[in-house]
Amino acid sequence: MTTLQTSTPLAIEPLDLPARPAASPARAALRQFLRSPSGVIGLCLLIVLVLGTAVGPILYPVDPLDLVGGPFTPPSADAWLGTDYLGRDVLAGLIYGGRATLTVGAVAALITIAIGLTVGALSGFFGGAVDAILVKLTEFFQILPPLLFAMVLVTLFGQKLTTITLAIGAVSWTSAARLTRAEFMRLRNLDFVKAARTAGAGNAHLILRVLLPNALPPVIVSATLAIGVAILFEGGLSFLGLGDPNVMSWGLMLGQNRNYVLDAWWAVTFPGAAIFLAVLAISLVGDGINDAANPRLRRRT
Amino acid sequence: MGALLQVESLNVGLRNGAGVVVPVIENLSFEVHSGRTTALVGESGCGKSMTALAIMRLLPEDFVITGGRIVLEGEDILSLSPKRMRALRGNGMSMIFQEPMTALNPLFTVGDQIAEVLRWHQGLSASAAHAQAVEFLRAVQIPALEQRVNAYPHQLSGGMRQRVMIAMALAGRPKLLIADEPTTALDVTVQAQIFDLLAKLQQDTGTAVLLITHDLGAVAELADDVLVLYAGRCIESGASADLVGHPRHPYTRGLLGCVPHLKLGQRMPAVWSDLGEIAGMVPPLGARGADCAFLARCRDASDVCRSRPQPMLEPIETDHAVSCWRKSEIAA
Repeated sequence: MTTLQTSTPLAIEPLDLPARPAASPARAALRQFLRSPSGVIGLCLLIVLVLGTAVGPILYPVDPLDLVGGPFTPPSADAWLGTDYLGRDVLAGLIYGGRATLTVGAVAALITIAIGLTVGALSGFFGGAVDAILVKLTEFFQILPPLLFAMVLVTLFGQKLTTITLAIGAVSWTSAARLTRAEFMRLRNLDFVKAARTAGAGNAHLILRVLLPNALPPVIVSATLAIGVAILFEGGLSFLGLGDPNVMSWGLMLGQNRNYVLDAWWAVTFPGAAIFLAVLAISLVGDGINDAANPRLRRRT
Repeated sequence: MGALLQVESLNVGLRNGAGVVVPVIENLSFEVHSGRTTALVGESGCGKSMTALAIMRLLPEDFVITGGRIVLEGEDILSLSPKRMRALRGNGMSMIFQEPMTALNPLFTVGDQIAEVLRWHQGLSASAAHAQAVEFLRAVQIPALEQRVNAYPHQLSGGMRQRVMIAMALAGRPKLLIADEPTTALDVTVQAQIFDLLAKLQQDTGTAVLLITHDLGAVAELADDVLVLYAGRCIESGASADLVGHPRHPYTRGLLGCVPHLKLGQRMPAVWSDLGEIAGMVPPLGARGADCAFLARCRDASDVCRSRPQPMLEPIETDHAVSCWRKSEIAA
């Protein structure tokens, strides 16, 4: 039986609390990320690729659409990685094409996550009729074969980089939506959400400040992986001849030179390798973030 | 003075898979006055927490209020718009939860979480709210404030977190504080501290407290009025000293018999039968008939009880009402 006689006002002894300020969850996750070898390797690789496409034009000022020599010139001092079927410089293509490819990947992933988060958050938070409608919508997009659907969109709206980006975003948001919805449904009945409600939090606050930050870790992982998927998509579309012919990209190089792979391996291999490395790097980073963000997988130290 | 909160014949039901509404709380009426503490007592599954959530209008999906009124300061809560209701939460009434480990957002510092509430309800700027948050943490007697205000919940002990919860619940300056088993998850020494703190804060702020608890010791010390719930029905109510001192309903007596008492002395007690138990379980939802819900477990049940439905809650003295057919015999 609890006795309430002991109304001592808390014997407070001067404690030696750690002087270091409390690590925020984000900082703790970053520290954890830097401890995972695959994540760090991926991040380094990604930084090299991004830097290469960013400063490459300064170091190697060649227009990727210019005809610099004869077609199918093997790698030489003039064209370091050779020329393609029209005589365009492959290295310049890699540098400028990387810009387009990585941008398409990043922007398409952003669109994917933006749509996915919105649909998933609303659906998971409100439940009921809102949920039913949004889940049906998600399922509608899910049953369409994504590559075919993207091809249809690009053929309909023109082979431009923006269209391609939007098309990729439009076909790949469903998994992000389902993931966010599941997280929201798990979180919305937790005590701290109820506590925020009883303290007077409105729906917007609950969604944006209480639920969303707690739902983010898995979504960030899927966003990272979505970049890789978007790059592959762009490559796939260009390979099938649906790339933007006016903007050099890795997928376009691959697609245009694929008929000549036996005559000029360099024109296909290098862009292929670039796509491979980019997707690998992004997957490794995603893996590292997953380890860092998911405490259940975290090893005890 | 009128009551701050009036609950009048509240009925709550659970809509089951077949769409049938099963009663969870039946005809519950009580009042809570400013500056006073009303306790809801009962076993798990008796509808205590559901009453609290009904008052906050935060019942889980599938639970529906099928009748009655809940009036806070003359405003019928059940007919308010969601917007007005949101304004009332935190400011008119607020709630502390049982499990302090999970009741704070793990991603924000405790200072931020309290400051947030202050900003909604008092329109303070971020820095002013932060400064006030420190004051609230001081009021709930958190040591080493300057570090703690920037601590994340996982860095605090259970007792500290419950103090933070109390600070957060009080930050909107509510007139009614619902404490849903605020100490169940804490160890005994901390329980006493938290109860002390609640009593002190109540004195300072004049807040009405609706205390939901199993802890009859705490009820005796803290509460002014008590309602004993059984299977969603109020079976005994009254002033706490009277009710704890002279329980009338067999269930209340059984509950009090379940409280361990320490006896000082050399001798070991001869038998360990001092600590009572109430055989059986609370009847599950849907299996609650018209007859006295406690019938199956009651040692004092007689033919009168079996032949008639659950009696009304009838006053036996001023401020003491019982729902039992044999109340006068048992009292004797």
